Amino acid sequence: MASIKLKLPQAAQNAQEPITHSDGPIVTGTSVLGIKYKDGIMVAADCLASYGSLARFRDVNRLQAFGERTIIGASGDIGDFQYVQDELEKLMIKDFCLADGHELATPHVYSYLHRLLYSRRSEMKPLWNSYVVGGVHSSSSQRFLGYVDLLGTTYQSSTIATGFGAHLAQPLLRKAVEGREDTLTEEEAVKILDDCMRVLFYRDARSLNRIRRAKVTKDGMEVTDPYSLETEWAFAEHIVGYGA
Amino acid sequence: MATSSAKEASFSPYEDNGGTNLAIAGQDYCVIASDTRQSRGYNINTRFAPKTFKLSDKTVLSTAGCQPDGNMVVTRIKQHMESYKHAHNKEMSTPAVGQLLSTMLYMKRFFPYYSFNILGGLDKEGKGCIYSYDAIGSAERVPCLASGSAAALVQPFLDNQVRNCNQVGKPRIMAASPVSHLSLDQAIKITKDAFTSATERDIYTGDNLQIFIVTRDGVEEQVHPLKRD
Amino acid sequence: MFLTRSEYDRGVNTFSPEGRLFQVEYAIEAIKLGSTAIGIRTSQGVLLAVEKRVTSSLLEADSIEKILEIDSHLGCAMSGLTADSRTMVDHARVEAQNHHFTYDEKISTKSVTQAVCDLALRFGEGAQGEKSIMSRPFGVALLIAGFDDDVKEGDGAQLYHTDPSGTFVSYKAKAIGAGSEGAQTELEQEYYDGMSLQEAETLALKVLKQVMEEKLSATNIQVASVTSEQGFQVYSKEKLQTIVDAL
Repeated sequence: MASIKLKLPQAAQNAQEPITHSDGPIVTGTSVLGIKYKDGIMVAADCLASYGSLARFRDVNRLQAFGERTIIGASGDIGDFQYVQDELEKLMIKDFCLADGHELATPHVYSYLHRLLYSRRSEMKPLWNSYVVGGVHSSSSQRFLGYVDLLGTTYQSSTIATGFGAHLAQPLLRKAVEGREDTLTEEEAVKILDDCMRVLFYRDARSLNRIRRAKVTKDGMEVTDPYSLETEWAFAEHIVGYGA
Repeated sequence: MATSSAKEASFSPYEDNGGTNLAIAGQDYCVIASDTRQSRGYNINTRFAPKTFKLSDKTVLSTAGCQPDGNMVVTRIKQHMESYKHAHNKEMSTPAVGQLLSTMLYMKRFFPYYSFNILGGLDKEGKGCIYSYDAIGSAERVPCLASGSAAALVQPFLDNQVRNCNQVGKPRIMAASPVSHLSLDQAIKITKDAFTSATERDIYTGDNLQIFIVTRDGVEEQVHPLKRD
Repeated sequence: MFLTRSEYDRGVNTFSPEGRLFQVEYAIEAIKLGSTAIGIRTSQGVLLAVEKRVTSSLLEADSIEKILEIDSHLGCAMSGLTADSRTMVDHARVEAQNHHFTYDEKISTKSVTQAVCDLALRFGEGAQGEKSIMSRPFGVALLIAGFDDDVKEGDGAQLYHTDPSGTFVSYKAKAIGAGSEGAQTELEQEYYDGMSLQEAETLALKVLKQVMEEKLSATNIQVASVTSEQGFQVYSKEKLQTIVDAL
């Protein structure tokens, strides 16, 4: 018998090494921020998709609406996010085709996302993302703001920040929002998010000053076009190793 | 890099989200309490994420450790209790849930739920009862118990205050005895003290204290503030 | 009896135009050929008594077993094609042990009865990927006796009758098998609420004696009881002898 040389996957060649398909994000988005305010929910994310330290895609949308009153913001692997978008879109279409008058509300989308991510982590094939899910209920006007990640970790809070934002923006958000969820105006909310996104741009090397912002209120949803944040770098001149 | 594959962040399905649980069983009551902080490393995810859940008028379950796994344990126990109710026409007793949880955890022996559970409630005689578990289903009935991130701080305190361990002139309550001799008021006071102290020393414990009190009248829930630093 | 019987009595999965499943009905008929079995429920416990047909003087009467233990608190008596009961009792035993393993408590009499009846319906072709285990209905009826521990005081004793159609009903006293018609009438006349277990013993044997073709003795009957204290217990030869003597 002629010997046939099989091309084995790298992992199989060396029994010592584990098989590794999916242990790491490739093209990534950085922080997503979300807050509750008087009229509803507001979330923000920048437009950058990085390939390692390379700023690879500079006009990526990481905020996606599902139905009339649910928004999700994704950080982590962009490919995985696009797969999740497809799955959620299929879910919405299925639900729409039933035409039973039932709308998939924010908690339902959140729960579905949680189950999807948890089952994938349990198969050891994680979807490498952290999500902020926000929305307002169409009849009760109840606000919903939740977090889900690749492990299936969930929590709800009046301020949420993923990724680097959990370190840099979350304290600022809590200071600005906690206890004022029912009084913050839209203008104030916009300022809080813009300020936090600016801070992130200053310190997170995987971020961009071009961002999108979305708000969900009982009247529906608005996602802004990408816009740039004003930044001030003049001070850098005076810092050794920074500019000059 | 030395090896060509398996570099950078290899995936771990587990994470410790911290949190502490405590339970004290008495002659006709059971107190089960948890803090509500949910952490991830040095970050606080949220200051209010309940991890103790009422399962029936006689049974309460608390979890600590990996939040998604704890959440799954609670969901599955609830589902199972519901189908038990339909199949056998009665509510599951606390000891029955106790055994079920043990089996359920052991069934995932080789991909365990990283969840440190305490099951508390009243048994068939109406006595307080607490079941202690490890992540893979080893179960034991005990008079008082602490689990989670501050377990090592709280358990000796309970041993001393509830079971009279290392106290001069007081009869010790054996670890194998089912209930303590404390009154409900004493038990609640000890619970609050345990958590205020644990909050001082354990960074994963704090924010709010949720206390569930199970008596023959049902389950009462209280929420008290803890330090948020 | 079955005037309209036609090809509809062939398949186990075909109703006749009158809405009957003949094979199931025939299976129920098969029980009427079996030896008589009686169950009586009292507040103290449940009594099961069966007749053994000792068809030859060379037959070892002890080898006929028509009352079996399901769990320490559960027993059953049977009539009909007793070989079929093996499958059912095995299933009941596994179900009882599983329940004990998972919940650390005794399974209720009703739940094992339900489990046995679920099995009784699994004849014919397997549906929804379920494996077919039996091509025809079971030809046996059971009297399932048990003592439930977590019910109101005095309500622990349970007696259920199951038949090949998978139907189960609870009885205070029930007779099945060849002599069931006469025996049931007798039970209906003699049974009263508040009967003691000892009175149930006497009643059961008295009724058996009336419907049996052979002369009743300690060798051609089998008796068992399920009580709160003793659980399931088959009566010894000596104990039977004293009861028979006292009749």
